[in-house]
Amino acid sequence: MTDARDGTQPPGDLTGLAERQAALVATLVAGGPPPPGFAPAQLAATRAALLRKRAGEVARHWPLLAAGLGAGWTTTFAGWAARRPTAGSLRDGWDLARALHDRHALPPAAAEELAVREARLRYDGLSAPRPRRLPAVGRAGGAVAAQIAGRVRLLRPAPRPSTVPPVGDDGPPDTAGSASWISD
Amino acid sequence: MTGPSGVGIGWRPEIAGFVAELPGLRFVEVVAEAVPATGPLPPGLAQLRERAVTVVPHGVRLSLGGAEPVDPARVAHLATVAQRVDAPLVSEHIAFVRAGGLEAGHLLPLPRSRQAVDAVCANVARAQAELPVPLALEPIAALVDWPDDELDEADFLTEILDRTGALLLLDVANVHANARNRGADPLALLDRLPLERVAYAHVAGGAEHGGFYHDTHTDPVPTAVLDLVGALCARQRPPALLLERDGHYPPAAELRAELDALATAAGFPAVT
Repeated sequence: MTDARDGTQPPGDLTGLAERQAALVATLVAGGPPPPGFAPAQLAATRAALLRKRAGEVARHWPLLAAGLGAGWTTTFAGWAARRPTAGSLRDGWDLARALHDRHALPPAAAEELAVREARLRYDGLSAPRPRRLPAVGRAGGAVAAQIAGRVRLLRPAPRPSTVPPVGDDGPPDTAGSASWISD
Repeated sequence: MTGPSGVGIGWRPEIAGFVAELPGLRFVEVVAEAVPATGPLPPGLAQLRERAVTVVPHGVRLSLGGAEPVDPARVAHLATVAQRVDAPLVSEHIAFVRAGGLEAGHLLPLPRSRQAVDAVCANVARAQAELPVPLALEPIAALVDWPDDELDEADFLTEILDRTGALLLLDVANVHANARNRGADPLALLDRLPLERVAYAHVAGGAEHGGFYHDTHTDPVPTAVLDLVGALCARQRPPALLLERDGHYPPAAELRAELDALATAAGFPAVT
C-alpha cells in the first residue's frame, strides 16, 4: 500500500514527522539524544514508565526470572533494558537471563526456567526463537533440561544457595549480588 | 451484534473467571492483538459470546498516528478478530507505537500539528477501507508533550474525527491524567469535545508518581476520575462505560465495588 496509490499524500510529505517520531522513540528506548524542545523531566518520566511496563510484561513471560530477583526485579530489568529497544518480551527475558547467567548472577529457579527454554526452543540471540525439531539438552547454572519430541523435562535442578559451590573461574558465587551488578 | 451498553470491563485472561460470573454484564472489550486469527477463541471469551455479550476488539499496536502507512497485516488481523467475535465496532488509539524501526512498547502522543492530523487521517482511512465495522478512536494519556503544538487538544481531536468520520472512544482517566499533568481543566476539554460521537468511554485507575499522574491501569480508580465520569454523564452520558484493569488484580470484591461505583456514577444498572 503506497501513499501515491491511496491518493492521500504524496510520498515524502510526512518525512519530517517520520524523522521526529523516530528521534522521540530513540531517545525513549535506545539511549538516543533528547530531541530539541522536549522537557527533560517529561522524557525521564516517560522512559521510566516504559521500562516499568516492559518489566511487567517480561515478568509475565519469565515468572521465575522475575520472582528469583524478587524486589530487585524492576531495577535489574530497567538497568539492563534502558538502552536496549525491546525485541519482544520472550527475547528480552531470554537475553537478560543469559546475561545474568554469564555473570553467575542467575538465581536457581531462573536457571531452571532458562534451561527448560533452551531445551525447547532454538534461540540465536538475533531472531525469533524456533521450536527444536531434534532432541536437545538445555543447561543453565547447573540446571539441566531435556526435550524429546517436544516434551521437556527438568533432569537436574539448579543447586540452591546452601549447597552451591563457587561457580566459574573468576566470578562470584551464584548467590551473591544477583541484582546489584547492573543497578548502578 | 449489539452496540456497547451499560458498564463493561476489559476482558483479560487473568480475570476471565471473575468476568464470566458477572450476571448483568452485556459488554466487554478484548485486546485485539491477544486474539488469534485462527483456532479456538480464548475459552472465557467464547462463553461470553454464547451469552450474547458484546465484544469490542481494542487494537493497541496499529500505530495509526505513525508517519508511515499502517501495516496492512495488522489491519487485516483487527478485521478478522472483529468478524470472529461478531463485533459491532472496533477501537484503536490516536497515537504511534513505533518509528524508525524501533518499538516504543507503549502508546506515544502525536504532535498536535496539521502534518500529524494528515498522517493519522490517512492511516485511519486505510484502516476503515478494510474493516467490516466502524472504528472508534481513543485519545491517549501522555506524559510528554511535543514542543510545537499548533492545535489545542479539542481542535486536534475534533478535526481528526470530522475528517475520518470515526467514532470517539473517550478515556475519562486519560482526560484526568492529561489535565492533571498539564495543569489544565478537564471540564473545559469535555465542554469542547463532540460528546455525541462517543461510542463508549474508558475508565481506569492510576497513581501519582514522581510528580506525574500515571494512568497505570494497575491501581484503583481515583475519586477524581469517578467525579469526572459524573461530569461527563451530566453533559452527555455515553452509551457504555468500560473499566480497564491490566495487572495487580485486586480481590473480586474490590473489582466488583469498582464496577458498582462506575454504575452509580453514570446511573447505569449494576452488573455485579
